[in-house]
Amino acid sequence: MTDASTPSAATRLAPALADAIAHCMRGDPRVVVWGEDVRIGVMGPTRGLVDEFGVERVVDCPISEAAFVGAAVGAAIGGLRPVVDIMFSSFAYVAFDQLVNQAGRLRYMTGGQVAIPLVLVGSAGAAGSNAAQHSEVPTALFLNAGGLRVVFPSTPHQAFWLMQAAIHSEDLVIVLHHPALAASRGAVQRGRLGLGDAVVDPVGDDVSLLAVGLMAHRARAAARALALEGVSVEVVDVCSLNPMPWETIVASVQKTGRAVVVDEGRLTCSVASELAAGIAERAFGALRGPVRRLAVPDVPIPFAPNLEAAVIPSEEAIAVAVREAARV
Amino acid sequence: MVRIRLFEEALAELYRRGRLVGVVHLSVGQEATAVGVCSTLHTGDQITSTHRGHHHMLARGLEPRRMFAEILGRAGGYCGGKGGSMHVSAPAEGAVGANGIVGGGIAHAVGLALAAKTLGTGGVAVAFFGDGAANQGILYESLNLAVLWQVPVLFVCENNGYTEFTPTTAVTAGESIAARAAAFGIPATAVDGDDVLIVNRAAEEAVARARARGEPAFLECRTTRWRGHHEGEESYARSYRARVEAVDPIDRLERALQAAGIETARLRASVEAEERAAVDAALADAAAEPEPPLERAFEDVFA
Repeated sequence: MTDASTPSAATRLAPALADAIAHCMRGDPRVVVWGEDVRIGVMGPTRGLVDEFGVERVVDCPISEAAFVGAAVGAAIGGLRPVVDIMFSSFAYVAFDQLVNQAGRLRYMTGGQVAIPLVLVGSAGAAGSNAAQHSEVPTALFLNAGGLRVVFPSTPHQAFWLMQAAIHSEDLVIVLHHPALAASRGAVQRGRLGLGDAVVDPVGDDVSLLAVGLMAHRARAAARALALEGVSVEVVDVCSLNPMPWETIVASVQKTGRAVVVDEGRLTCSVASELAAGIAERAFGALRGPVRRLAVPDVPIPFAPNLEAAVIPSEEAIAVAVREAARV
Repeated sequence: MVRIRLFEEALAELYRRGRLVGVVHLSVGQEATAVGVCSTLHTGDQITSTHRGHHHMLARGLEPRRMFAEILGRAGGYCGGKGGSMHVSAPAEGAVGANGIVGGGIAHAVGLALAAKTLGTGGVAVAFFGDGAANQGILYESLNLAVLWQVPVLFVCENNGYTEFTPTTAVTAGESIAARAAAFGIPATAVDGDDVLIVNRAAEEAVARARARGEPAFLECRTTRWRGHHEGEESYARSYRARVEAVDPIDRLERALQAAGIETARLRASVEAEERAAVDAALADAAAEPEPPLERAFEDVFA
């Protein structure tokens, strides 16, 4: 139970998402949850909700991603606030017309006559040999689609607040969560986070290290290791990607003059690319050297554990890039 | 029906004179399905429609002036000139909207119906779509959801005989589109979509059932597309279909009225004169509207 000192008793990331949804469902009967096996809560973010809110508000769907996302678009226009769990975010490809051409376009095409207060939750990233169709981070596709807001919390605190912000938003917000972080620990604190926020932790002076999701965890671990070597790293966890927290990002780079960007998406047109380009445009004068990008090479995520590990930026690879950046 | 006919003919003429931008799909010949169904709806009900949807919008009661303005890309259009012919939308008037993607709006109607049921508004939703959408998977996914959720939605398939440039029968397996829907355990009937009275009777029954018991229903309206897939197609499309031999739905209604002992000659002339004046005035007003201000290009992406 929630006590006076903490907004949520959740101590792990997936339960923090579920607790945030529960908070919103208690406060607003229009908030409903549907998707694939949401009553069991296979992926975590909806686990336990059916016990409190019942089968009317927590609805298991057929494996028809296009139709249940499309129905959510209609329901959102009609006055509900659906939270749709699509399990793996790469299942959104099955529903891409509804997501991009419909949800992402209708407000614009109708001249602002409709709002689509819809949340799409999905896991993103490799968590151990699920192979290419269940391990991707499609953030860049969603950002390029236009009309979609995207957040990717990496801690229970971020998860709790960003999920609530997503549900309260009048726009479609995609909430990504990394399967390797579902059980990661951390306390939910009072400092509320909203769409467009980034989390700077730790603060540092030598290099700005920008990262998202699991990469933010690895970035923090790398920063701790590098501190022992005397390199002061500032990690900017870009947990909101649309809106992009440019102010925080640019302020950090202007302070350090060096930037390394880490992304679990494929390199070409990745979030890393967008961050690097944005930094070059906004803070070029402050840069002492080129912005370095670490991302997945332009291949699908392989199945074999050693191959999977080889394509995803590791803590060591991040540390190497930061050391190189710090030398200039 | 007369208003729809005159509205569409005015657009055909505008296109011929090079005064329309974009692609325009006209509904001439299909007036009876739109009017037969929309005449059963109330305030608060919603429809979703298709790239060929002017008749649905007009039958739902949308203003010809704002429809023309939208199709001409003017500031005073329903969407401020940001949707155009294929995407006219007026949710406040019960028309969530047309849709440029074949089958794109069907699932929205299921969601709108679920919202109406959950919020207890008493509203129903109607999904208009064509025979082309009968070969889109989302139709069957949506039928499945509608039956599982028991929501007040009426699926209306306007089978006009052509899937763009291809005869529907050449690309559609099985006995009929209605028979496909029936497989989901949904009441499904095929009717003569050119007879507004028949369509109206079938829709009335389905909508009443949806409203009272929250049950979905499916109506296949067999009709005929008089014009091409879109205006101007003759510039590249070789002849691909037989001469249209359809019965005019307006003539058909006139004959039904005559059979009921109503004198129609003067009635029809006066309706046509009145509607022609209204449509002409609406077009003149819309054409005089300004273009949207440039800043509108950058607005309405997010709330």
